[in-house]
Amino acid sequence: MSEREIIARGEQSGERVDQLPAVVPAVDIFENENEILLHVDLPGVQKDDISINIDNGKLALSAARYLPTAGAQAWREIADVQFRRTFAVPQSIDLNNVRAELKNGVLSLHLRKSEAAGPRQIEITTS
Amino acid sequence: MATRWHDMHQLFGALDLFRNQMNSLLQNVDQTYTTERGWGIRDGFPRTNLSDTGDNLELFAEVPGINKEQLHVKIQGNYLEISGSRPADSPEGYTLHRNERVVSSFSRSFTLPYEVDATQVTATLNDGLLKIVLPKSEAAKPRQVTIS
Repeated sequence: MSEREIIARGEQSGERVDQLPAVVPAVDIFENENEILLHVDLPGVQKDDISINIDNGKLALSAARYLPTAGAQAWREIADVQFRRTFAVPQSIDLNNVRAELKNGVLSLHLRKSEAAGPRQIEITTS
Repeated sequence: MATRWHDMHQLFGALDLFRNQMNSLLQNVDQTYTTERGWGIRDGFPRTNLSDTGDNLELFAEVPGINKEQLHVKIQGNYLEISGSRPADSPEGYTLHRNERVVSSFSRSFTLPYEVDATQVTATLNDGLLKIVLPKSEAAKPRQVTIS
């Protein structure tokens, strides 16, 4: 990689989140016959600061939280953090049909199971 | 003497803040992936930040998954109390594989560094973050002194 490319990479604003301390958000995982449902606590996270990547059977959730700050701090127990967690996704999940919603600082991730995920009998044909 | 005590108090407050910052710094040195949860109701109360913007005190509290109807804020003089409960949000007909998000009720009280005007206090809830703006009472506000 040439020197110029390295400089250009450093200028990408998207890399800023890597400087935040990473914390693991608390998660509840539910399942029924149609879907797997995740509830993730992400207090103070804006919708646009969440990224969900599904690749190679792994679901990577990453969410940056920037707290509004003003004035002199008297005490500080919560900080700007990056919530980060990775889950293994079973093959039965239909990756084109994942739905996510954010409400009151809780992210709900609906992972629908694909129709073809049920057990299948394979017929053997003789030639 | 009273001012001396106030100075001492401020000094310790500053030391406390410094210690907290050092703690979080040290924690981050060798831990890129902490086991710390995003929020701390397991300690029995939500975590908060308090800052002083001159005319107001501003308090932030982490309260994910809690509606405003389930939160209560009480103020008297320089005493502030936040209480509430987080309901179970388990959907019907699902089997549970993992349960890390705690369902409980909590209460936390604070002694604010200044008296506040309880009638002017505003509280807003956004994205699981509760913000309380507490205007200082007239006596506690900073005042410009004109030199004659």
